[in-house]
Amino acid sequence: MIKKALYALGVIAVLLGLYGFYSRLFIGERDVNYGSYVTWGLWVAMYLFFAGVATGAFMLATLDYLFNVKLFKGTGKYALWAALVTMPAALITIAFDLGHMERIWKVYLNPNFGAPMAQLVWGYTLFLIVVIVALVLAARKPDSLGMKIVMSVGLFLAIFLSGGVGALLGVNASRPGWHNGMLPAQFPLFSLTSGAALMMIVIGWFMPAGELRSQRLRALSIAMIVLILVKAYYLWTDFSLAVYSGVPDAVAGVNLILFGRYAWAFWGLQLFLGMIVPLVVLLVPGLSRSAFVVGLMGVFVLIGFAVARSNIIFPALAIPELKGLMEAFHGPHLNFDYSPSLMEWSVTIGVVGLSTLAFLIGTDRLPFLKRTEVSR
Amino acid sequence: MKQTPQSERKPSADAGRRNFLRALAGAAGAAAALQMLDRLEAAPEQVAESLADAAARVPQAVTEAGANADVLIRMQADLARALKKQPSERRWVMVIDLRKCVGCHACTIACVAENKLPPGVVYRPVLEEEIGEYPNVTRRFVPRPCMQCERPPCVPVCPVNATYTNEEGIVEVNYDQCIGCRACLTACPYGARTSDFGYTYAEGTPNADGLILGQAQADAYERAANYEYGKPWPRKGYGSPMGNARKCHFCQHRLKQGMLPECVTTCIGRATLFGDANDPDSVVAQLIKLPNVIRLKEELGTRPRVYYIV
Repeated sequence: MIKKALYALGVIAVLLGLYGFYSRLFIGERDVNYGSYVTWGLWVAMYLFFAGVATGAFMLATLDYLFNVKLFKGTGKYALWAALVTMPAALITIAFDLGHMERIWKVYLNPNFGAPMAQLVWGYTLFLIVVIVALVLAARKPDSLGMKIVMSVGLFLAIFLSGGVGALLGVNASRPGWHNGMLPAQFPLFSLTSGAALMMIVIGWFMPAGELRSQRLRALSIAMIVLILVKAYYLWTDFSLAVYSGVPDAVAGVNLILFGRYAWAFWGLQLFLGMIVPLVVLLVPGLSRSAFVVGLMGVFVLIGFAVARSNIIFPALAIPELKGLMEAFHGPHLNFDYSPSLMEWSVTIGVVGLSTLAFLIGTDRLPFLKRTEVSR
Repeated sequence: MKQTPQSERKPSADAGRRNFLRALAGAAGAAAALQMLDRLEAAPEQVAESLADAAARVPQAVTEAGANADVLIRMQADLARALKKQPSERRWVMVIDLRKCVGCHACTIACVAENKLPPGVVYRPVLEEEIGEYPNVTRRFVPRPCMQCERPPCVPVCPVNATYTNEEGIVEVNYDQCIGCRACLTACPYGARTSDFGYTYAEGTPNADGLILGQAQADAYERAANYEYGKPWPRKGYGSPMGNARKCHFCQHRLKQGMLPECVTTCIGRATLFGDANDPDSVVAQLIKLPNVIRLKEELGTRPRVYYIV
């Protein structure tokens, strides 16, 4: 039933995305609302989100294939498949954000390895290769030494790429909201949390009922409670450091998040839906007994993360670098007041639909994914 | 800048001769400019002459400009001297005298015209700031070109080496290399880069054959090439510079032809000054020594090559 509903939602999402894909591929970037001042918008936020889910899913796969945690034996291949379908989603959204996406090959032929973005592009390429190799080995020789080596390399890459996203933002010294040594250190934990949330959905909604599923969900729930608490602590450190430092741009960024135009998204989606509700539900045994509810909490955590990624990107860029810059010259895409355009939403929804359908089709059609852990 | 007081100037005895010489110089300048335009349009690839040739084209009267000459004439002489040096020996700087800026935005518009900037792309906006509360208010105008930082934060973040500092110290963008990721826009502490989203001013304007004239011509003009970095960049399809990061480059294409940046020549208050800081006799070298000179966001350590006199 859940699967059918997700198939339907996936198809609807892809259909809704067709307008955005057409507009971006055949018209260009005219219908986007990001620009020269708010340089990165919804697509970059979604890139951070999907990349976090992909690397986080890989981290969860190591429980099975690298660390041999018995409880999670048989779940690794789903985590790997999730990583394989979400990383391309990240790459599509970030590619669409490029003014000349047809020149992406230049990052391979003439890279500046001193730039975090070049490191990330190469890293994602290696990561995708590792995931594909790991999936092949998972189907054929899941317990081999080769698999352990591949998963070790992949785990290193997953941590490096997660932190690299933080570095991509953090190296901008003139953005006080980002230029913080904590940022690259936080992102691997964010990825791990995203991966755990995804696995709550996969195990809670798609795996056969039984004691094993209950135990796995309980373990994931306890991990999620800890991760949400650590995440809440990071949120506090980020905001308090910015506010107590008194640096005007940093304070303005926090003010925008807490009391700005999209404060409802922070309070309602990121904090309440994405953190408080899952925390309460997972803490109370009576509430989290249902596998469906645990899966739903995974969805809530992921929604909270998507909003959190947006709240990292937009407010920091919405503060003019110089007083009077916004009023000095007027034209398209010269605006500090950003909200995603219909076309940006369309692409985002379409990409979510594509990755959802890809995950479902893979688990339904690929022979080795169709086999449950019982048959292994 | 020291100027000869009105009372010390010779009365109208030499006025006729001076006016005649001015007219002659003006005509020569116009002829040179026309010749330049012809050459730019006829054979853009052949435009890049040796810098010594460019310097040689500057009239002798200009190269010998004295300390009391108009500052534009002096800067032209400074430029001629600088162009005779090796590029790496020059240090181009811009000095903006905020006491003289009246906020006319002529430099902004001149820059747009010179570089044929499309809607949404601006190299040199003039920031306006109102200070104080009524009735004790005043306004300040701050033109903001690219700072051409000695330590530019925009360069190391480029994933494809599309932006770099050239041997003269000017931060360039290689349009053909740029992938349009806007990492450099994000990194710039001065908001000095804008992205070209492919617009033209003529699009969306009324067009009716035989009834409204000019739309097609204006569109054709906008799509014709500019000559940034000494190369023709027509607006065709979605090719560069569309989709790229763009920024002020101190009008390098003009410098190489012995001309000052467009914003400098257009400034009605002589508030924008330009030259080689490595030449101790240049206007800018003498000005940046003053104690009332600042640079924007110096605390970041970017070492801008744009100085402001306050």
